[in-house]
Order: sequence, then C-alpha cells, then structure tokens
Amino acid sequence: MLLSGQNAVVTGCLRGIGKKTLEVFAEQGANVWACAQQVDEEFEKFCAELAQRTGTWIKPIYFDLTDTDAIKAGLKAIMSDKQPIDVLVNVAGFTKDAIFHMTSMEQLKLVFEVNYFSQILISQYITKLMVRKKRGSVINIASISGLDGSRGQLAYSSSKAALIGATRTMSRELAQQGVRVNAIAPGVIDTDMNAVVPENVIAGHIKDMSIQRMGSSSEVANAILFLASDLSGYMTGQIFRVDGGMK
Amino acid sequence: MESKLKSIFAESLGIDESIVTDSLRYAEIPQWDSVAHMALVAAIEEGFDIMIDTEDVIDMNSFEKAKQIVAKCL
Repeated sequence: MLLSGQNAVVTGCLRGIGKKTLEVFAEQGANVWACAQQVDEEFEKFCAELAQRTGTWIKPIYFDLTDTDAIKAGLKAIMSDKQPIDVLVNVAGFTKDAIFHMTSMEQLKLVFEVNYFSQILISQYITKLMVRKKRGSVINIASISGLDGSRGQLAYSSSKAALIGATRTMSRELAQQGVRVNAIAPGVIDTDMNAVVPENVIAGHIKDMSIQRMGSSSEVANAILFLASDLSGYMTGQIFRVDGGMK
Repeated sequence: MESKLKSIFAESLGIDESIVTDSLRYAEIPQWDSVAHMALVAAIEEGFDIMIDTEDVIDMNSFEKAKQIVAKCL
C-alpha cells in the first residue's frame, strides 16, 4: 500500500474529488482527517464504514471555508490529536460563474475566500507541522481554467490561477525543509460541480479532448495519490493536468 | 518559561544563550533570517506544545515579543 501508516488531511470530503480521494487514501492505508463544510449523518456513516473496511481511522472535521475562526478551530482540533501529518490535499472549492463584466467584487472576493485564502491559511498551519518532521506532501486542486482561462469563469479561473502561483512559490520555499508542493489541474470531471453545466457546453469541451469523455473522480484521486506518495519523491512545484488531453 | 524559551532560541538559531536577551531582534543577526524564523517557530511550538497563529508568527520580531506570544498561548 502506498500510504501505509501515513496521516492525511483532506478538505472537501463531502462529495466529488474530495470524497473519492478520502476513499483511495484509506484503501492505501492512510488515516485521514476528513474535512467538510457541515455535519452530515450520511457522511459520518460513510467515514465509519470506510475506516472499518480499511483498518484505518477517519475523523470527520467540520468548518466553513469562509469563516477564518472556524477554520482555525478545525485545525486546532486536528493538531490536538498530536499526530504527525504527512499529506495535505486542498480539494474544497466552489464557483460563481459570470462573464468578466458581470462579475461583482462581492462574488470575486467570496470565490477567492474559499478557493484561495482559506487554502493558504490551512497550508500555513499544516506545513508548520510538516516542517518539524522535515517531511510532507501538499497537493492543491487547481483547474485547467486556472492555466488556460475559461469563458464565463472569471472568479473561478483567477482564483485557481492564484492557487497555482502559490503552489510554485510554496514549493520553492518548503523544499529545503522536506515538504513537496504540487497541484493537480483537473479538466471536465463528472462531479456535482459540473452537473449544473449545460450539456451542450460539456459536449463542446469533450470535442476538444484527445480522450473524448469526462474524467472521473477516481482518475483525479489516483493522480493525487501518486503525488501524495513517495513515488513522486523527486517532484515539486509541478502542475499536473488531468484533463483527457484538452486542446 | 523564559529560560526554556531562551534555550530553544539558542539551539534553533545556533547561537550562544548569552546573546538571547530581550533586545535580540529578528534579522539583526545573520542566524535569525526568514528560513531560521520558521524553524524557530516550529521548535517553539513543539517545545511548548502550542499552536502559534500566523499573525503572531509575523509579529514575533524579538525575543521579548516571543515571550509575550508564548505566554498568551500557554
């Protein structure tokens, strides 16, 4: 198993890529603090069953990414467990789509709060623990829209571009302290976030791919697993496209 | 607390304890640069079993200030 005995923090675990990452990590032997926005009974049950099936521990942690005090309280709860943290995956994110001239400052700030500022805050706290152990891997979930731009997604694409910039800077600062930082840039993935995108828009994207279908959460989670594990021990500061070969 | 903090400063920055006084300030000696600062913060957190807020990491610009921050966290 690739993450046997390791401890990971994963945000955005309630659904989609985060939930699949939680599952893949546990199946590979990792214990996980599974962070989500709100208490959810079904999610608690999912975590308990997954832990039992894989012989790991999984602790649900709840905080709202727009609430700095709540984030800090969540992180303090994680740290109070006094366990080393080997992996951090910043998955949580959301979008408020609008074209450039129709994007309000309020929308822009909200998207940046969740997709960028909160990720930085979480990374600052968790990597301090990693630095103590001189070991760790951080994986930020960006987006191909942060690399290529995306019509109608000013707030989302620019927040992801900011996260990509942070990934590269963090990787340069933290490498000498044993911490690697990489990002995944998923393309069109079959998640709830894309469920609201009109079919003709999805079809248009698929036409532009070498592999002409939507990606699955599993395919993204497997790429995250690779970056979390020692298999990628000589890689840092990289942005990996998982997009079916989008042109 | 002060003597323990002094010892953490000396060990983490690789300096003699006699230099660690209230007037010791960030970046005034070559050993206390930005990289050493993060290692120092990590050592203080581990030594006292506390979590220092990012705002305090930035504010911790002297030994005197460090004493106040640690006292607040205990």
